[in-house]
Amino acid sequence: MNQLFTEAGTLLFVGMVFVYAFLGLLIFIINFVLAPLARKFPDPIVQTKVKKYTTKTKLSEGVSPAIVAAITSAVTQYRQQHLNAPTNTKVHIQPNIKARQ
Amino acid sequence: MELLNTLWQSTGLANFALGQVIMMSVGCLLLYLAIAKDFEPLLLLPMGFGAILTNIPLAGFTEAGGLLHYIYETGIHTGVFPLIIFMGVGAMTDFGSLIANPKVLLLGAAAQLGIFATLFGAIALNAVPGIEFTLKDASAIAIIGGADGPTAIFLASKLAPELLGAIAVAAYSYMALVPIIQPPIMRALTTEAERKIEMEQLRHVTKVEKIIFPLAVLLATIFFLPAATPLVGMFCLGNLMRESGVVDRLSSTSQNELINITTIFLGLGVGSKLSAEAFLNVETLGILALGAIAFSIGTAGGVLMAKLMNKFSKTPINPLIGAAGVSAVPMAARVANKVGLEANPHNFLLMHAMGPNVAGVLGSAVAAGVLLSLVG
Repeated sequence: MNQLFTEAGTLLFVGMVFVYAFLGLLIFIINFVLAPLARKFPDPIVQTKVKKYTTKTKLSEGVSPAIVAAITSAVTQYRQQHLNAPTNTKVHIQPNIKARQ
Repeated sequence: MELLNTLWQSTGLANFALGQVIMMSVGCLLLYLAIAKDFEPLLLLPMGFGAILTNIPLAGFTEAGGLLHYIYETGIHTGVFPLIIFMGVGAMTDFGSLIANPKVLLLGAAAQLGIFATLFGAIALNAVPGIEFTLKDASAIAIIGGADGPTAIFLASKLAPELLGAIAVAAYSYMALVPIIQPPIMRALTTEAERKIEMEQLRHVTKVEKIIFPLAVLLATIFFLPAATPLVGMFCLGNLMRESGVVDRLSSTSQNELINITTIFLGLGVGSKLSAEAFLNVETLGILALGAIAFSIGTAGGVLMAKLMNKFSKTPINPLIGAAGVSAVPMAARVANKVGLEANPHNFLLMHAMGPNVAGVLGSAVAAGVLLSLVG
């Protein structure tokens, strides 16, 4: 039993030292082999195209809410002037506009 | 009358032994945990069903000629199934966050303390009457602390096949219990201020790095720990298939169809080891207790190491990500993220915790290799 304990103690020590050493070696490899490689061979720049594309769509999307807001306010104005809607509908319309703005 | 008697003798009812009934209920319990509680269902469901099949009287599933016997002999006794699963896990693993912040590898190493410290516990349990663990048994049990199912099954099949059933049940049950076991330990070992620490954004990792990394890991293993090459080699193969980008079909097969098929057979094969004589003893209780201890020590080791690193590191390190060093991918990383969010709702640690998480997978494979070469 005592001998088993000693063996387990040795295993604990040797095992932990080895695991640390091995993973430490990997840290070394990443820092001194992979990182320079990454600087030498950066990923091909395909992303700019994608970025341009997304900004374009964003622009077109960015215009549409303004148009929507304009139409919405025009419609509400029209309704207020012409339809003479009951107060209930007015209350219903107001928060809607707020949310969109 | 004699005919009726023969008929009765061929029914299951006449041949049930008490142990078989108990083990069938254990199988049903595993099914319940899988279906109702969602505990690692992918493995516990076939495992629970395998346990039921194994204990059917007269059917002889685990005797020579029986289905489960062949599944066990071809896939688990040889170590093939856990290795195929490890390849699939490699194909699912993204080492990006690890390469971006390599010092978290030390957290993956620290969390392996659970494995080696549990060796002591297993040997100490020999004082309990009815328990007799050799160093091989103790090593196979201790690997539960690696929180890595395939690694645990692989090592157990090599070092202590008679304990495999209990070890696999313990390993997968505790992996499912990670969200319950870890948070109290994480909170106890860290201060509120430490849990709030926000970490710096990770750098971009290039494709070349991701391709070279598995090859470098394999090379290091070949040089320094050939005993771990079955596990690490298959893992790196899967990862290389993923990162190379030229064999998407193979990568997708190994992380979907292949791993699924193998999981079914692995579960059934492990279930075949859940027979009454192998499972219903004091040793199983000891293994279940040791598994919980191994998980807790591993978590504590990772968190304490992260605290230490935070003291000396130029960039801040949140100690919670240390707990993810016990592998159990990706559950442990999610737990670290969740506990971090409790302290600071704007702190998203998930990507940072994935680093130590995958480092833990490498760490437990290396630990398994050490145990294999020193004890096996």
